Amino acid sequence: MNLHIARQSLLGALHPFTRIRSLHRQLLLWLLLPQLVLWLAAAAVSYATAARYANKAIDASLSQAARSLARQVKPIGNGLFIDFPRAAQDIIEADRDEGVFYMVSTPPGKYILGNRKLDDPPLPKDPPLGTPHLYNSTVEKMPVRVAALYLAYGDDAANKQTLLVQIARGRTQRDELASEILRDTALPLSGLILLMSMIVWAGIRAGLAPLARLRAAVEEREPHDLAPLQIEAAPAELRSLVGALNGLLTAVQGNVATQRRFISDAAHQLRTPLAGLKSQTELALAENADPALRARLERVHESATRSAHLVAQLLTLARAEPESAAALGRSRFDLRKLAHDLSAEMVPRALKAGVDLGIDESAEEASPGELFVEGNALLVREALANVIDNAIRYSGSGHEVTVRTRPDGGRVVVEVDDTGPGIPGDLHERAFERFFRVSPSGSGCGLGLAIVKEIVERHAGSVTLESLSPHGLRIRMELPLAQR
Amino acid sequence: MKLLLAEDDAILADALSAQLRQVGFEVEAAPNGAVAEYLLLKQHYDIAILDLGLPLVDGLTVLKRVQMVKPALPVLVLTALDGLDHRVAGLNAGADDYLTKPFDFPELEARLRALLRRARPLPADALEMGRLVFEREAHRASIGGEPIELSPREWMLLDLLLGQRDKVVTKEQIAQSWGADRSEASGPSSIEVYVHRVRRKLEHSGLSIRTVRGLGYLLEAQTPPPSS
Repeated sequence: MNLHIARQSLLGALHPFTRIRSLHRQLLLWLLLPQLVLWLAAAAVSYATAARYANKAIDASLSQAARSLARQVKPIGNGLFIDFPRAAQDIIEADRDEGVFYMVSTPPGKYILGNRKLDDPPLPKDPPLGTPHLYNSTVEKMPVRVAALYLAYGDDAANKQTLLVQIARGRTQRDELASEILRDTALPLSGLILLMSMIVWAGIRAGLAPLARLRAAVEEREPHDLAPLQIEAAPAELRSLVGALNGLLTAVQGNVATQRRFISDAAHQLRTPLAGLKSQTELALAENADPALRARLERVHESATRSAHLVAQLLTLARAEPESAAALGRSRFDLRKLAHDLSAEMVPRALKAGVDLGIDESAEEASPGELFVEGNALLVREALANVIDNAIRYSGSGHEVTVRTRPDGGRVVVEVDDTGPGIPGDLHERAFERFFRVSPSGSGCGLGLAIVKEIVERHAGSVTLESLSPHGLRIRMELPLAQR
Repeated sequence: MKLLLAEDDAILADALSAQLRQVGFEVEAAPNGAVAEYLLLKQHYDIAILDLGLPLVDGLTVLKRVQMVKPALPVLVLTALDGLDHRVAGLNAGADDYLTKPFDFPELEARLRALLRRARPLPADALEMGRLVFEREAHRASIGGEPIELSPREWMLLDLLLGQRDKVVTKEQIAQSWGADRSEASGPSSIEVYVHRVRRKLEHSGLSIRTVRGLGYLLEAQTPPPSS
């Protein structure tokens, strides 16, 4: 849990300095960017194509019109006969809105007929005759497309003359046509791009889903859970990452197990010499009458007893930790019966300490019957033994210790009350820390409540302290009630 | 009372032997499993203390082999394992009792005495505690030589309390000894009545029946006044 929080805050701390990029966003960007380029290119190409075809069509009709107009001008000798009936004029000028302009002239600049003055075509000195020449120009600031046709007339080569026929039409129509074609192509293209983006987005999501699952699996881990990660249906790239992670986890697990085994072995090995020390001291005490020496020996014995207690508690703590606890197995057992048996067993010790240990009968009469919980009975027993032991140890002679079991919703509550001096409220949290001792005197080693917390939390339960009035302490353990 | 102490730790064995001799045992020590097995099979002992982690032959093997030949021999096992070790469960089945190192000598002595009592119940002998003499066979009880009258239920109650002195006797156990019928007569209030009566009869015996809240009763010797 702490590791998790540390990791989170580390990420948080890094964030302002190194922008953490989302792989999802990156992929989306790099897949959609080419599509945008493609879309722009396609639009540009289709516009250009549309414009070209529109030009072609208009150019063809302009050339046609220029030829038709040229046909009306017939050279007679060295003069010109212009047969330009009103009807033909009407046809050319039919659509005024479209802005059709024409002019027949003999260069340089000799106007013969037409409805507007058109500029000379930007042509070289000797233009090719008989073929229409097309170019862009403006008439009264209006963009137009012009077809210019040069014709030769005159019989003798010496008196050769040139006739220029020009027809212009506004480019508005052509632009409209082009943009219409563009619209017709770009719209479905945009729809297609949108659809593709959605597919790409969904694809990235699906592709990155195993990564998200892996992240969730790692984040949800308890720091002590070193079992290999299991990611189903992971792609090859992720599989190798998971494999590497699992390799690391296995190595760490091995280290932890070695360390734990060492603690356990060391504790076992310490027990026999401690037993020897205690026995020898007891013997020396029994055989010696010198009060000064006896006083020293008493201290030695006390110290040996405390060391023995510490060794036992360390061993229990090592056992309560998850890897070892898993090996102890689980069963369903009656917590109320366990509390009874344990209390009965501890009564002689309590009496020796001058403590009145008992069971709260009224709570049991209020809710009679068995209170089953699931877990390791030995560990839970050890936890409760530590709670009761704590109460006996710290309440002191002349006080009462009362054990109470009761159901509370889906949980079983075990409360151990004492009438001793209690623990100040601000130390309640810290009392569960390893090696934290509320008072430096006394025979405790500061591991009792840490063991209780470890075991109870292993069983999805909780343990809290509460001050009693006028004085005293209540230790409340809650464990989930086993399903029927 | 002949006792075999099989313990390989010389310092512990030395101190334990001396302590055991002080409380009246005739102690013979075996430094390893092979010697322990040999001695246990060849000689007569009233009780044995076996360390589990013995060299040459381990304690559990010695225990199994000896029990095949002498099933009645009470054996107390000493172990550096604790109650959380799954191996202790197996031990529980084989040994009569076990004690985790390190221990307090009075605890060891009490366990040994209890084992001996269990192994050799003394029905004919008078059971003495404080000033009370309790003769099971003869069905007689007296305090300081003065006989006391006990009804059958009172007798069974006292018998139970004496048999588990310094331990809690639960109300369930008392009801069970009375015939296990959960009728009105063996209800808790009735048990209280009988305890009250027995308590009064034990008034000058130097014994007292302590009520353990919510659990049951416990017979203990009253601590003698400091003057005596």
